[in-house]
Amino acid sequence: MRKLLPLLMLTALPVMAAETDSGSAPADTAWGDDPWGGDPWSEASTGPRLHGFYELGLGGRLQDDPALPDDKTLAEVRARLEWAGDSAGLHYSLQGDLYADGVEAGPSIDLREALVQFTPLASVDVQAGQQVLTWGTGDMLFLNDLFPKDWKSFFAGRDEVYLKAPAPSIKVSYYGDAANLDLVWTPLFTPDRYIDGERFSYFSPMVGHAVAAPAYRLDADEPDRFPQDGEFAARLFGRVGGTEWALYAYHGFWKQPMGVDAGGSPVFPALQVYGGSVRGTLAGGIANAEMAWYHGDDRDGDDPRTPNDQLRALLGYEHEIVPRLTGAVQYYVEWIQDYAALERSDPAAYRPDELRQVVTLRLTSKLMRDNLTLSWFNYWSPTDQDYYMRPSVSYRLDDQWTLSGGANLFGGDAPHTFFGQFEDASNVWLRLRYGF
Amino acid sequence: MRAFTGWMASLLLVPALAWPLHAWAEALTDVGEIVDRANRAAYYQGDDGRSEVRMVIRDGQGREQLRQFTILRKDVTDGGDQHFYVAFSRPADVRNTVFMVAKHVDRDDDRWLYLPGLDLVKRISAGDKRTSFVGSHFFYEDVSGRNPAEDQFELLETTETHYRLKAVPNSPQSVEFDHYLLWIDRNTMLPTRIDYVDGKGETYRRVEALEVSDVQGYPTVIRSRVSDLRGGGQTTMEFGFMKYNIGLTDDVFSERSLRTPPREWLRRPE
Repeated sequence: MRKLLPLLMLTALPVMAAETDSGSAPADTAWGDDPWGGDPWSEASTGPRLHGFYELGLGGRLQDDPALPDDKTLAEVRARLEWAGDSAGLHYSLQGDLYADGVEAGPSIDLREALVQFTPLASVDVQAGQQVLTWGTGDMLFLNDLFPKDWKSFFAGRDEVYLKAPAPSIKVSYYGDAANLDLVWTPLFTPDRYIDGERFSYFSPMVGHAVAAPAYRLDADEPDRFPQDGEFAARLFGRVGGTEWALYAYHGFWKQPMGVDAGGSPVFPALQVYGGSVRGTLAGGIANAEMAWYHGDDRDGDDPRTPNDQLRALLGYEHEIVPRLTGAVQYYVEWIQDYAALERSDPAAYRPDELRQVVTLRLTSKLMRDNLTLSWFNYWSPTDQDYYMRPSVSYRLDDQWTLSGGANLFGGDAPHTFFGQFEDASNVWLRLRYGF
Repeated sequence: MRAFTGWMASLLLVPALAWPLHAWAEALTDVGEIVDRANRAAYYQGDDGRSEVRMVIRDGQGREQLRQFTILRKDVTDGGDQHFYVAFSRPADVRNTVFMVAKHVDRDDDRWLYLPGLDLVKRISAGDKRTSFVGSHFFYEDVSGRNPAEDQFELLETTETHYRLKAVPNSPQSVEFDHYLLWIDRNTMLPTRIDYVDGKGETYRRVEALEVSDVQGYPTVIRSRVSDLRGGGQTTMEFGFMKYNIGLTDDVFSERSLRTPPREWLRRPE
């Protein structure tokens, strides 16, 4: 109830805003004879504006999870409010979610964005505050994008935008003639919202089977010394003709607790990443290639408690198959370095393969003038012999209401592999959204 | 043979040649010249332009949806490559989405979509140009333009007011029409109607200029419509606050603008 109250208060807000906003006909009626005079479509482009959506989301497991008694994977009412404006050369934006979560007693407020944006020099943009950032060329695969992800939302069937979690950062961008440079400093390390045993169980190599909260809640201490535990990311990028290129660097930590300390507690090991990407048109489609060198603390690869260095590579291609149906494939590989040393130090049972390969397939069909979207995305690993399939259907009833449904289907031959461990997390979901 | 169809951009942004010039002109007889002039009138008047656009989309059952966006255009070369920047303001689910096109005459266009919720700059492949533009009956190609070299033209008739042309695509498998018929106003050289015809000879799609107005001395289509003659739906598009030759610079059409909107250019002119 404590959580519901602000939600109810919020629901009243947009109604009031709509009344004061335009003071005339609602936006769902077409304009009359005087098209640009006074109807809501001629809304002035200055001054603060309030927008957002309400959403109801429900989802449930397709099978029992012995580690987790709750069959629900999604049960929430969500209100998103977005407020933005310009003042004295400064652009400001505030976006937040309030939600009542029936699965996890998690945060009921999620600040997605609270930033200011300004241009101190003609060739420099600054964006400071809570923000979502993305770069790189992968589709649902991230090599040089070390900005935080929210895997729980992704697995639970929330909107795909929730895969990207916000972080408090300062982004300074310089735009030159030949190249541009982004520098992003996140003063406090912000990890992924990883699978921690709440909502979904995970495989524990120490126990030898899937475990979950509360007993096995994965709660690693985040590096929090200031300023040395901050994150620093850079991208040098440009375009030659229709081909985009970029070089990346990252200094920080693994975004999930991939390591174990001497006492057996999960930790976020230090990590540096260097990489590059190209993307351009090829034979009527879009081709991309990206590489990243993951360089950690385990220089010789013989410490089983710390991830070895990795070379990650990605090739992708997207092309229209027939009108309104687009297909995209990606090939992705993680190559563990110093594997011989890892073989000596890590028992074979749950040791990852030297080469983890993943193939993804995306099919998107937009029908009924984009009102109906059929989407299929799947990961499949021939080396791990596991998969993750994400079918979904989304239907726009009108400019306000959208109904969508889908599934997250995991499976694999072994209980410990990347996707295979989530077999009991397989779920179906349904969401109804009202946007304003 | 020069050709063109995506001349919807004419209905979008670009004024025709100054009209008095043509009012007393001799009828043109060379179809290549007609197409070329209409193409330039449709796409390349002025060096650049800005317009606010809104659409009413009505489906076969009479249900309505609305779209609103601001569009910036700049010519790289007259009659050649162009830049388009389209920033959406309504409805809620596309608000702040940006669509950007580098239109090329000699190769595939480069097209980008910026999705603000993910801070994602997405490339769109060139294939799906003749699919719905943000849920309307207009196609992407109607907005950014179809390469003139993709069709063969024939002058069917010259009336008192119009040139009537027939256009046949060079690669029929890449489009949904068999051919289309085009009416070009002899005064303004603006296309005022286009009928798309299928293999059975049935006209199934029509684009019309409903209202032409003088903007900075140029006749400009300020209201147009696409009708789905099979399904009964239609989209009416309106243009407001249009202005030409505003001095847009090349760097407006860059990744910078995708992630950080060029607010000084998007702002409604005083």
